Amino acid sequence: MSEIYDLIVIGGGPAGYVAAERAGESKLKTLLIEREEHLGGVCLNWGCIPTKTWLACSKLFYQASHGAAFGVNASNLTLDFAKVQERKAKVQGQLRQGIKGLMRKFGVTVVQGTAKLVAAGKVQVGETVYEAKNVLIASGSRPAKPPIPGLDGANVVDSSGILSLSALPKKLAVIGGGVIGVEFACFFAQVGVAVEVIELMPEIGGAIDPDCARILREELSAKGVSFRLGYKVQKVDAAGVHAVDGGGNAVHIPADLVLCSVGRTPNTENLGLEAAGVDLDRRLIRVDDQGRTNIPGVWAAGDCCSRIMLAHVASRQAEVVVNTIAGRKDRMRWKAVPGVVYASPEVAGVGLTEAAAKAEGTPVIVAKWPLQANGRFIAENDGKGLVKVLFHATDRRVLGVHIVGGAAGEMIAGAATAIEAELRIDELAEVIWPHPTVSEAQKDAIYPLLHH
Amino acid sequence: MATVVVLPKQGNSVESCIIVRWMKNVGDAVKEGDGLCEVETDKATVEVPATASGVLLTQARKQGEDVPVQTPIAVIGNAGEDVAGLLGGTATTQVVEASTPVAAQTTTPAGPAGVTGGPAARAPGGAPGGEGGSSPRAREAAVDRGVDLAGVAGSGPNGLVIERDIANAPRMTPAAKAAGGTIPAVGTGLAGTVTAADRMTPLAAATPAVAAPVAGAVTDIPVKSIRKVIAERMRQSISTTAQLTLNTTAKATAMNALRARYKAAGESVGLAAPSVNDLILLAVARTLPKFPMVNAHFLGDKIRQFSDIHLGVAIDTERGLMVPVVKDAGRKSVAEIGREVKSLAKACQEGAVKPEQLSGSTFTVTNLGALGIEHFTPVLNVPEIAILGVGGIVLRPYEGAKGVEFIPSIALSLTIDHQGLDGAPAARFLQALVKAIEAIDLVVAA
Repeated sequence: MSEIYDLIVIGGGPAGYVAAERAGESKLKTLLIEREEHLGGVCLNWGCIPTKTWLACSKLFYQASHGAAFGVNASNLTLDFAKVQERKAKVQGQLRQGIKGLMRKFGVTVVQGTAKLVAAGKVQVGETVYEAKNVLIASGSRPAKPPIPGLDGANVVDSSGILSLSALPKKLAVIGGGVIGVEFACFFAQVGVAVEVIELMPEIGGAIDPDCARILREELSAKGVSFRLGYKVQKVDAAGVHAVDGGGNAVHIPADLVLCSVGRTPNTENLGLEAAGVDLDRRLIRVDDQGRTNIPGVWAAGDCCSRIMLAHVASRQAEVVVNTIAGRKDRMRWKAVPGVVYASPEVAGVGLTEAAAKAEGTPVIVAKWPLQANGRFIAENDGKGLVKVLFHATDRRVLGVHIVGGAAGEMIAGAATAIEAELRIDELAEVIWPHPTVSEAQKDAIYPLLHH
Repeated sequence: MATVVVLPKQGNSVESCIIVRWMKNVGDAVKEGDGLCEVETDKATVEVPATASGVLLTQARKQGEDVPVQTPIAVIGNAGEDVAGLLGGTATTQVVEASTPVAAQTTTPAGPAGVTGGPAARAPGGAPGGEGGSSPRAREAAVDRGVDLAGVAGSGPNGLVIERDIANAPRMTPAAKAAGGTIPAVGTGLAGTVTAADRMTPLAAATPAVAAPVAGAVTDIPVKSIRKVIAERMRQSISTTAQLTLNTTAKATAMNALRARYKAAGESVGLAAPSVNDLILLAVARTLPKFPMVNAHFLGDKIRQFSDIHLGVAIDTERGLMVPVVKDAGRKSVAEIGREVKSLAKACQEGAVKPEQLSGSTFTVTNLGALGIEHFTPVLNVPEIAILGVGGIVLRPYEGAKGVEFIPSIALSLTIDHQGLDGAPAARFLQALVKAIEAIDLVVAA
């Protein structure tokens, strides 16, 4: 008879390995099962981390090649793409070692293989059945593949495949102007590749604040990205992408490489979920605020059960599950989930947008501050930027903050704290904001509305 | 020889204590070591023991007072002993009024609430807190911890808020402090912090539990459109009101006789027979003007009474329950009410009803009599303060002149929001309604 674990985690991404780490820390006997070679999931292997490495390289290249206005002139600049890939691998290697070390440190047993839930408390990998008091499904997601003819062509990649390129394309067509598509568009445009983004909706960026999305689009356009908004892709072939515009006119968008980035699909097949009776909501596992599924002892966290497929959401969900298993009170809250677009300019938002506030009937006041009136921003940038603070019209608590420009992603955690703590603009205004920083634009935005 | 009891030192850092409760009254016999009173330090509540045996002659300090340590609090001696001189100097010079702030006697720095102001800010002379007020030390603690005294239930004498109540009070966000409503013991915010939403809609925090699997085929019906509205309204009703249902019956003899006359002769004079429900609506519309407290909305901080009668009428449709409104029913005849209900019900069933026809009611009537229900507990159509549920007509035994008679009677169930309306006035309204129904022929003619 094999030993019984306190927790078996299926999937070693930002939900799974964080759950295993926290569980080990809580002295729970933990088994982590990962089907891929490396832990870290999409985030470390095909997502957050490699793309941020790419973007850092391309930002440096762009700044070096566009430094004239700052008195910086460089000639004979080249981009060594092989070196870029080497750096990506180095960064990933270091972080993979880090996760391995954490698993060792907290006594987590790691098994490589494809897991299947046989029943509550029983997980099969190959011929072995492991038993546990609790099973956490953290099986993640994969790039969605829409029913567009030609996506199997050799010139088409998804957001994972594109990271294995050995050379830069001459012309890239990006199907889908959401966060993932925009980040890749920014990377390629900054290193001199012609990029065309084809988006079905009238604006890029998916659910991000429309004012921020517009500024982001304008800034990226200035870097040479073409946007085709309101276009529907019909098919892809060796010559590129064929689409129709809003008026129904057929357009051919030539490209030697096509990136398909139209969202992500949860990995909830072939895990034995149906047989075990785990309740799904469309393809997502249905969970409560503590991550419980309908089957006692079976939990879920991350992209396989979340409408907001972000690494930090997954990790937080995982922590809630482990805390609940360990008997500590915790719950998932969704009102302050930060989202970041790591393009240049960087965009970050947390909490309600104006549209979301309207949809739920919450009266809000919007405080705006253009970054063209911000000292540090002007010193460092020639373009546009914006900070928006949404607060409740009557009780004045901060409900949303949206930023384009500066290190928006670094600033947004402060805003998330304010929303979680339900600080009102009155409290926020009494915080000492450092000067000169882009962050102080939040205070500048709310101050004129403070005494009304 | 009388003994003066002084408040003992409670450790080096404690300079004064609050007298939370006297355990012995003047005149009580006490033995050395008996608890005389409970005092509260900044850390704990402790008993002060009697230091001598005898009779408690004087309580030098009142309940709730903040007393410096090592000052007299009581005198124990023989019954009738004159102790006036014993306390003379000390007591009169050192009496501290219960409401005097004790800031000068503590070294605690101002906490976050001192910065933000608000209900827990240091208020000299005041005694905020629950109905029983609060001890100075509790007020200090409230300021330091950022706790809103107004929401803290006191566990001290007469509901006095004492320090341990503050220690046990839930943390609240600034927005939650500014919001009204009840304060749950644990909130849904960071580490259990109470959020504004927790105070405004306590049940919104509760997400439906994920159901355990059930064997056999299942059908999932999405909760949307009308069903979603009903779900939200019903939950809001149950979670935000204090519902109480009063049941009674009215003799339906007059209604039956009137309907029989309409049926027999009405059509020849061009009148359609009113339904039982039409007659009940009429009786309600004619009775409500005398009971403005029933024709009202409960709005939390106020009760809004209406001069006009707009009756919500619950209609069963395939899509779910709808409540169209017969506007100005107080001025309409039974025939007008009947025609309007009929056309509203048709509009609801056909999905043609307009939003403005579904709002603006001051009182609602719901009738399950046709489905054989005798009594039920209607759920308030918030913010209305009352709703009438009408049951079916059944024979009920009454003791008459010739012995027990069986008389057709109609069941009436009035649910009220006890927050804004008490049982007795609601019962008086029901009594008047019963009279109107039992003399419906006169009401129709009036």
